[in-house]
Amino acid sequence: MSRDSSDGTAGSDASGGPAGPSPVEPDAVFDKGLQPERTLLAWRRTCLAFGVASLVGMRFTVEAMGILAVVVGVIGAGLAVLAYALAATGYRRAHHSLRGQGILARGGLPMLAGTAAVLVIGALCAGYLAIGLLGA
Amino acid sequence: MTAPRRFPASVYRDGDEPDPRFSLANERTFLAWLRTALAMYAGAFALEALALPEAVGWRAAASIVFLVLGTLAAVQAWLGWKATEKSLRAGTPLPGLAVGGILVIGVVVAAALVTIGLYA
Repeated sequence: MSRDSSDGTAGSDASGGPAGPSPVEPDAVFDKGLQPERTLLAWRRTCLAFGVASLVGMRFTVEAMGILAVVVGVIGAGLAVLAYALAATGYRRAHHSLRGQGILARGGLPMLAGTAAVLVIGALCAGYLAIGLLGA
Repeated sequence: MTAPRRFPASVYRDGDEPDPRFSLANERTFLAWLRTALAMYAGAFALEALALPEAVGWRAAASIVFLVLGTLAAVQAWLGWKATEKSLRAGTPLPGLAVGGILVIGVVVAAALVTIGLYA
């Protein structure tokens, strides 16, 4: 479990650096620019934003809508936690395929799911606006 | 070389495998658009939840502008990701960012509506 043992010497091409104990570090980073890692962090902050949005939305609608708001908010937060975990496995998979074959074997399904999730939040928001504005 | 079939066939049908770093950057741009969409929806929600301009008309107008901008950002996230990935695979120039201009104008308009609603 020596994940962090690569101290900047491992580049994107694993042609064996002059220094270092082993010619090919078993689990070195793929890219000096840490692109897969930065992408993982971007997924994480997106999941965090979704989770917080769900819970804040729940907090502001619970008086008016009761148990419905709680159910929707908890489902939203749960999906955000699930996506957070999936982002971690996706990173591991991308890391291994990048280190192995040098290609990123990843399709657009996570993106479509994310887009759908944000559109669902938009629809809920529109419903909340409609109720509030028509009731006013 | 042919990996298992990847989801949007319209993206992965043609072209060569691009530099993975570019695909990852495209993915982060997509995620940034998603968060932008979420922020726009949060703006619409917050105006209503806090009854920010108490005048209902101005509040409705500003909220609806934010709602439309959020939807626009979500659509741009998906379509922009697809278009960029396609053009990375084809080696053609990347698509432009026309939606960015609309978003800027929309945020300014929404802010103006809130301000007018507060003081009118």
